[in-house]
Amino acid sequence: MTTLLKQIFNFLKLLNSENGTNQLAWGLSLGLILGFAPVLSIQTLLVFFVIFIFRVQIGAAFISAFFFKFVAFLFDQPAHHLGKLVLEMPTLRPLFTEMYNLPFVPMTRFNNTIVMGSMLVSFLLLPFAYFGFKAAIIKYRATVVARFKGTKFWKAFTATRFYNWYLKYDEFYG
Amino acid sequence: MTNTEKKSKIKKAKGPIRWEAILPFSLIVLLIALYFHFFFDLHLRKALEWGGYQAVGAEVNIGSLETSFLKASLRIQKIEITDAERPTHNSAQIGDVRFSMLWDALLRAKVVVNEAVVEQIEFGTQRKRPGKVKPIAPEKEGEGIGDKVKGAVLSKAEKEFGSNVLGDAIALLGGTDANEQLKKLEQSLPSKEMLTNFENDLKTKQKEWDARIKSLPQEKDIRALDERIKKVKVKDFKTPQEVQASLQEFDSIYKDADAKYKQIQSVSDDINPELKGLESNYRNIEKQIQTDIKSLEQHFRIPELDPKALTQSVFRDYLAPYEAKFFRYKAMVDKYIPPKFKKKGEKEEEVPIQPHPREDGISYEFAKANSYPLFWIKKTGISSQAGLAPDAGNIKGEITDITSHQTLVGKPTVATIAGDFPSKEIAGLFMKLSLDNRKELSEVLYNLKVASYPIVGRELISSPDVKISFAKASGTMGIEGKLLGLKNVVIAMDNSFNKIDYLISAKNEVADQILKSVFAGIPSVTLTVKGQGDLPAVPLAINSNLGPELAKGFQKQLQAKVNEARQKIEAYVNEQVGQQKAQIEKQLNQLRTQFDQEVKKAQAQLDAEKKKIESRTDQAKKDLENQGKKKLEQEGKKAVDDIKKKLGW
Repeated sequence: MTTLLKQIFNFLKLLNSENGTNQLAWGLSLGLILGFAPVLSIQTLLVFFVIFIFRVQIGAAFISAFFFKFVAFLFDQPAHHLGKLVLEMPTLRPLFTEMYNLPFVPMTRFNNTIVMGSMLVSFLLLPFAYFGFKAAIIKYRATVVARFKGTKFWKAFTATRFYNWYLKYDEFYG
Repeated sequence: MTNTEKKSKIKKAKGPIRWEAILPFSLIVLLIALYFHFFFDLHLRKALEWGGYQAVGAEVNIGSLETSFLKASLRIQKIEITDAERPTHNSAQIGDVRFSMLWDALLRAKVVVNEAVVEQIEFGTQRKRPGKVKPIAPEKEGEGIGDKVKGAVLSKAEKEFGSNVLGDAIALLGGTDANEQLKKLEQSLPSKEMLTNFENDLKTKQKEWDARIKSLPQEKDIRALDERIKKVKVKDFKTPQEVQASLQEFDSIYKDADAKYKQIQSVSDDINPELKGLESNYRNIEKQIQTDIKSLEQHFRIPELDPKALTQSVFRDYLAPYEAKFFRYKAMVDKYIPPKFKKKGEKEEEVPIQPHPREDGISYEFAKANSYPLFWIKKTGISSQAGLAPDAGNIKGEITDITSHQTLVGKPTVATIAGDFPSKEIAGLFMKLSLDNRKELSEVLYNLKVASYPIVGRELISSPDVKISFAKASGTMGIEGKLLGLKNVVIAMDNSFNKIDYLISAKNEVADQILKSVFAGIPSVTLTVKGQGDLPAVPLAINSNLGPELAKGFQKQLQAKVNEARQKIEAYVNEQVGQQKAQIEKQLNQLRTQFDQEVKKAQAQLDAEKKKIESRTDQAKKDLENQGKKKLEQEGKKAVDDIKKKLGW
C-alpha cells in the first residue's frame, strides 16, 4: 500500500515537474489497456510486466487503470456487440480457430465477446491515447503549472523553511 | 541557479529499462513460489471443504491434499461427506482421488486429464465426530422450494393413494357404526344449500315469467282479430275502390297479427335461455349430490377393496423416503443447472446486498477436429477392495469422457460401477449412468441392479390400527429409465423381497387373523413401480402381488360391510335432499310444460288467423278478377252486336 501511495505521489510530483512526459503518457496509456482487460488474463500480466520492467510511471498506470475500469464497465454492452460482430465474422473464423488452439493465446480470453470488444477498442485507442496524454501534459504544464508557479502564494511558499526541508528530504529519499 | 537545480542536473539520466526493479520483481516471484509451496494446498483444501459444504449442505472433510505445479497433478485423500440425515455417519467416504492434467492442454487454457483414479469408496461409515449440517434457511414469504416440492409430493400422494386404505378397512372391520356417525353429522350438505338457493331462484324467476306471459296476446285479442277479418267485404265489389279498401284492411289486420306473433316470439326467446340455465344449474346440483356422497364415504373412511389401492397403501411409506431423497438431490442439482435447461420465466433468486454482476458476455469455443475441449477427463478409474477398511466394498468401475463439449469428443459421459459390499451383505451391485448432451434435449439413461441386499426392521405400515413390517428379508432390486431435458422422467423399478420374516399386528382381532393368514401365504413379495411424466409430479403405477392377496383376504369379511355403509350414506343424502330435489324437479318440469303450452297455443292461434287473412285476401282478389272478366265479356259482346247492327246483318 505504501509503495502504491508513493507511486501516486510520484505521479503528482512528476506531473507538476518538467521531466518524465513520456513516462507519464505511457503510464496513462497502458493504464487504459489494464482498465479494459479482464483482471485474470495473460494481457493484464504482460502489461504489468511492461510497467515494472520499463521505465513507465507506475502511479499513472494505476490511476489510469482505476479510471478506465469504470469506463469499461459502462462500455460492456457496446463491447459485447462489437465483440460478437467480430467473433462471428465467417472470414475470421479460421484465424480464431487457429488462435483458440494455440498455446497461451486462449489465455487472453479473446473468445469472449466483451473481452474481444474491449480489447479491440483499447488497442485502437492506445496510440491516440499516448499522443493525446502527452499533449495534454505539456499543455497542463505550460498553462496550469506555470501560472500556479507565478502566483504570490507559491513564491511565498517556496521561500519558507518547510519547503527547503522538503527539498532536502526529496533529495535524499525521494 | 540554485544548489538544488545544479544537483538535479548532475543526476545521471536513466535508461528506458527499470534495472532497479529486477530485485523487487524477483522477490515477488519468490514470494508467490513460496506461497504455492507452503500454503496453497492448505488453502485449496479449506476452499474445497467450504465449497463442498455449500453444495452438499453437510460438512465435507478432506484428509490431505497435494498439488504439484510441475506435474500439474492433484491428489486428495480421505474425503468424507457427512450424511445430512444422520450426521454421525458419512453418506460416502472416498479414500484416494488423484489425477494429473496435461500441460499441453493447460497452456491452451484447457483442462484435460488422461486418467483419474478414485479408490476405496465406502458408504455409511461412522464419523469421529458428528458433521455439521447446513440449517435450512427460513422462508420469508410464501412457500419455499422445499415446501413446494413437499406439497407437490404430498398432494400427489393424497391424490394417488387417498387415505390409508388398509387402515380404513381394518377400522371398518372394527365395527364403526355409520348410522351413529351420520346422526352426529351436523354439517349441512353443500347440495342441500344449493337446492335451497335454486328453489329461491326458481320462485323469483317464476314470478317474472308469469308477469311476462300475462302481457302476451290473450284469447280475446285473437277473437277481436277474427271479428275484424269477418267484417271485411270479400265479394260483390261494385267499384275498384271497394276492393282497394278491403285489401288495405286485410293488410292492416295481418300486420297486427304478425306484431302479436313477434311479441310472443320475443318473450319465448328471452325466457328459453333462462330456462335452459336453470336446467343446467339443476344438473350441477345432481353432480354435487354425487360429490357429497363421495366425500361422506371419505369422511367415514369407506375403503375401496381394489388390489391396486391396497398395494399403494402398503408401499406408500416404504417408497416415500426414496422419493424424498430423489427430490433432495434434484433440488441440489437444480442449483447448478445451466440456464438453458431452466424453465422460461423461472425467476433467479435475488442475492441481497450485492452489486449487480458485471455483464458476462458470450464465450465461443472455436473447436476443431482432434483439439482439446475446455474440460475433459478421459477416464476415471474407480476401485475399492473389501477388507482394507471396515465398510469398504469390492468395487470396480469407470467414468469415461467427463467433458464440457461432448459433440467435439463425440462420446457421451458414461459411468459404470459393479461390485459388492460383503460387510453390508450387498451383492451383485451394478450401476450404469449415461449422460448425452449431444442431442437437442439432454438424455440421462440410468440402470441400477442389486442382486441381493439385506432388509432389517423395515416398516411398511405403521398406524394406530395396524402395523406391518419386514423384520428381516432379502431383497433384489432393478431400476432403469431415462430423464429427458432434466424434466421428463421415465422410471421402471422391479423389486422383490424374499426370505421374509413379517411383523404383523392389528388392533382388531379379525383383521389381525386375516393379515397373518394372508401374509403367511406370501413367501416372497414383488413390487413394480412404473411412471412417466414431468417432474416433480410424476404419476407412479405401483403394483405388487400383495394387493390382490390382501383384497382376496378382506373381500369376504368386508364387502358386505362396505356395501351396507354405502347404502346408509346414500339413504342419508336422500333423506336430506331427496324430497326437496323431487319437488324442485317437479316445479321445473311444470314450468317448462306450462310455458311451452302457453306459447305454442298463442302462436298456433295467430298462425291460423294469419292463414285466414291470406285466404280471404285471395278470395277478394279472385272475386275482383271474375267481375273484371264478366265485364270485359259483356263489353265485347256489346261491341260485336253494335258492329252487326251497323253492317245490317
